[in-house]
Amino acid sequence: MIEVRDLHFARGSRKIFDGLDLDIHAGRVTAIMGPSGTGKTTLLKLIGGQLRPQHGSIRVDGQDVHRLGRGDLYRLRRRMGMLFQSGALLTDLSVFDNVAFPLREHTRLPERMIRDLVLMKLEAVGLRGARDLMPAELSGGMARRVALARAIALDPMMIMYDEPFTGLDPITMGTIVTLIKRLNDAIRLTSIVVSHDVRETLSIADDVYLIADGKVVERGTPEALAKTASDWANQFLQGLPDGPVPFHYPAADYREDLMNGGRDAR
Amino acid sequence: MLDSLARLGRWGLGMFERLGRGHLFLLSMLGGLHVLVMRPRLVIREVYAVGVLSLLIIVVSGGFVGMVLGLQGYNTLVGFGAEQSLGTVVSLSLLRELGPVVTALLFAGRAGSALTAEIGLMKSTEQLSGMEMMAVDPMRRVVAPRFLAGFFSMPLLAIIFSAVGVMGGYFVGVGLLGVDAGAFWSQMQDSVDFNEDVMNGVIKSLVFGFVVTWIALFEGYDATPTSEGVSRATTRTVVHSSLAVLGLDFILTGLMFNKF
Ligand SMILES: Nc1ncnc2c1ncn2[C@@H]1O[C@H](COP(=O)(O)OP(=O)(O)OP(=O)(O)O)[C@@H](O)[C@H]1O
Ligand SMILES: [Mg+2]
Repeated sequence: MIEVRDLHFARGSRKIFDGLDLDIHAGRVTAIMGPSGTGKTTLLKLIGGQLRPQHGSIRVDGQDVHRLGRGDLYRLRRRMGMLFQSGALLTDLSVFDNVAFPLREHTRLPERMIRDLVLMKLEAVGLRGARDLMPAELSGGMARRVALARAIALDPMMIMYDEPFTGLDPITMGTIVTLIKRLNDAIRLTSIVVSHDVRETLSIADDVYLIADGKVVERGTPEALAKTASDWANQFLQGLPDGPVPFHYPAADYREDLMNGGRDAR
Repeated sequence: MLDSLARLGRWGLGMFERLGRGHLFLLSMLGGLHVLVMRPRLVIREVYAVGVLSLLIIVVSGGFVGMVLGLQGYNTLVGFGAEQSLGTVVSLSLLRELGPVVTALLFAGRAGSALTAEIGLMKSTEQLSGMEMMAVDPMRRVVAPRFLAGFFSMPLLAIIFSAVGVMGGYFVGVGLLGVDAGAFWSQMQDSVDFNEDVMNGVIKSLVFGFVVTWIALFEGYDATPTSEGVSRATTRTVVHSSLAVLGLDFILTGLMFNKF
């Protein structure tokens, strides 16, 4: 379904991807995990064609995302849903209108039918009663659920979840987890879940990729990963503070930095 | 020395780069206009936000500017015994200059800054990015209708400004200072030419509307997506568009009213 080949991407001089290869299969939940700042959000934006890699290719459903013309890219995006880390709801529209937005933009359905569809999607995320609220009146978790309802409004073939679990209470977290799983099974959606909530993610994932330093470090099913026990995977999956993964953003030597005594502070 | 030279160079390059991006932005904005033929409602909504909500400040300022023109004009003219020409002075200054220019300055402060802040915030909260991923082009859905609304609202606002200003001048001149009402209107009718004065004013305000809205939308779209970035972009909108209006006014006036 999605093939990422030899992906290179840099922000300024900072390399984010350095030859990344990834396969995401149709109808499965694929988890992409990795420490904060490794470029998981960036990867989703690359898949969605919002960013351009310096090298390498990304094929979605057989089409090279970065070779498509504007029209084809937009047609492809109609079939991709994306759940942003922040929700990205349109703040001047109510919950109802937010979910109706893609339907109104892309279809000529009569208003009655749009209403039915929107209420169905809202029911699926348990927020049918909140349809008249404005995004500013929602909690973070509710906003995420509305965004999810909006992402599935056009019945996409795949959906990318960027950190769907962060900042949710255990109950909402549980509902979102089952929701992702249910959507995937019920409408044969291809799901990509980017997250560092290890337990929740592993509980629904069919395939897992761990990425770090711009490369895939480990891949496999959750069961296989639990067995392989490479140092890296172990550290990440069990949340040990020390190991092969550095906790720090690349920096000059700490001691030197302190001893420098503000020489480079202008 | 070399350092400051390098900084000057970098500043210059940065400026030209922005200028280039601004023009590319303009092109893609104009390229997005055609879809609005199908969806006039989008534009109408924005005309309300950009135009109708600016009405109050335009009407009040127009009234005061007209009244001041009445006072100043009377004081000057009465020295020559020509106070009957007050209608001419008030209407010509408003139609040719003050109407378009002051309206554009107020428009930049009221509507331009709001446009920049709105688009900048939409960018910083990932709403624009989110639209793109929903296969909705923000250039067409968000930017183009606002541009059209600004472009059309500006001349209407300028005309309203001038009309209210003439009323203000009439109120002061005829009502308070005792200029003859008949002379006020007939002198005005004799000396104001539709093409020369009214249309030139409209053309000026169309140009100003174009430039102010363009700058405001570009600054918002190009803003650094942080609260500081948006606030800086808003300031830049007001400063740059005011300067652009004043500079363009000089050029347009030169072209229109003085045959060099
Ligand atoms: N607009 C930007 N300009 C420059 N650098 C950026 C920008 N956005 C992200 N980065 C850099 O790209 C890297 C990857 O960012 P990204 O948001 O993809 O990380 P992430 O894996 O999603 O992290 P998290 O788990 O914290 O969300 C980071 O190191 C960040 O510094
Ligand atoms: Mg992220």
